[in-house]
Amino acid sequence: MTQRAAPELLLGILPIALILALWQALTSFDMAPPALLPPPMAVFRRLVEQLGNPIFLQHTFTTLLRLFAGFAIACLVGVTLGLMASSSRVAESAIRPIVRVLAPVPKIALYPAFILILGFDHASKIALVAADALFPILLATYQGAVSVEPKLVWSALAAGTTRRKALLTVVLRAALPSVLTGCRIGLVISCIVVFLAEMISSTDGLGHLLVYASRSFETVDMYVPLITISLLGLSLNAGFNALRRRLLAGYPEAE
Amino acid sequence: MRRWSAIPGLPPLLACAGLLVLWELAARGAHIDGLPPAHQALKQVPAILLDRESLFHIADSVRRMLIGFALALAFAIPVGLAMGRSGKVAAFFNPLLMVIYPVPKAALMPIIMLWLGVGDASKTLVIFLGVSLPLIYHSYQGARAVEEKMLWSASAMGMNGLQRMMRIVFPASLPEIFVGLRTGLVLALITMVTSEMIARQAGVGNILFNSLDMALYDRVYAMIVIIGILGFVLDVAFERIRAWFVAWADSQHQIAVGTS
Repeated sequence: MTQRAAPELLLGILPIALILALWQALTSFDMAPPALLPPPMAVFRRLVEQLGNPIFLQHTFTTLLRLFAGFAIACLVGVTLGLMASSSRVAESAIRPIVRVLAPVPKIALYPAFILILGFDHASKIALVAADALFPILLATYQGAVSVEPKLVWSALAAGTTRRKALLTVVLRAALPSVLTGCRIGLVISCIVVFLAEMISSTDGLGHLLVYASRSFETVDMYVPLITISLLGLSLNAGFNALRRRLLAGYPEAE
Repeated sequence: MRRWSAIPGLPPLLACAGLLVLWELAARGAHIDGLPPAHQALKQVPAILLDRESLFHIADSVRRMLIGFALALAFAIPVGLAMGRSGKVAAFFNPLLMVIYPVPKAALMPIIMLWLGVGDASKTLVIFLGVSLPLIYHSYQGARAVEEKMLWSASAMGMNGLQRMMRIVFPASLPEIFVGLRTGLVLALITMVTSEMIARQAGVGNILFNSLDMALYDRVYAMIVIIGILGFVLDVAFERIRAWFVAWADSQHQIAVGTS
């Protein structure tokens, strides 16, 4: 396995290296004007420089705040509704059709409505992030909770556990792998959506920095926020995966 | 309860009606300028759809969306199938796709507009990028799960690699590919709306924000309803097509979730 891993890793780095080389070649042979495509080193240097810049970090912090607030709401509402739909027929017949209607609707279209109702500040962005991250979490929770072995719940009920307690201690625990997968997808979605919302209308945050740079034709500064949010997405994804493995230690289906 | 929920199409309709009633009540209760009552906004829907210019913009958006979707389809399915059948191809593409996954595709709009201008090309390219990833992923998963024995039999019958791909791997992966297509279609709509909102040049997203800037709030909400209906109708129509093509596979009761 370890013998095979090294060449495979090299093979995987190859396309990324090729793209970077192409980028470098385009700029150093003057095929692309620097105003349109800055050299990769200039972007990288600017990124490192900005990461030490308190104003840039302040914008990053604003973005992260909105991201986590929206994600937390989505987790709370999504897991609660998912569990409710899985446990009662009445709740299911109410939640299922609503989800069926709302899930394929582009949530970004709701953003103007959120702005009108909640204002231009944090609240509208947080609402959009929550709306977008909600459905994958809700569906994953529901699907996980429905496929929990019913015998587990029956034994808990027979042992005198109340229904609500059984839902939290047995069903939620047993459905945890699926719930966490949904949350991980929701987290990456949150990351993307918060950035887009800030690009569409905002006065701060990483997305605003990109739009601001594009209006003043500072090409290098357009790449830096985009790379920052992508790196944030990558590291949040990796961090969540590590957390998931930790929480799922001992589960049979955990990788 | 069992009886009425068994009628196809009725529960979603009831859900729509319920949501509209909720909206109407919220608007009457809250008295916010930015939230007109449902009936007032819905009156604007036929007005927009009968207006020549806005109808043209909507049709133009949908056309770009379908072109981007078709291009992604032609590119992503072969790549995904090749990844699923060859470990080397998978090792080649996987890290790259992992790196691209968290990049907000619609956010590339300002950069791509610098290169390709404000025309159709940049919008179509962004939609193509947004849709390709889930399509590649699902084709990959589908091709990976093809029964080896079928491929051995095909080789024994004298089929070469390409023939095996077309006659065995592609049809066998079709159910999984359709799952990807469905996610991709919703995603194409999302990317289209988002990129138009960012670019503010033309199309559905532009009508939405122009109405917002001109404080035509009824129109904003009417536009949201139109986009919502578009998303739902595309999803339902696609589900029908899928069911017709891959009726032989187990139907999956999955609700498509769009991501940006």
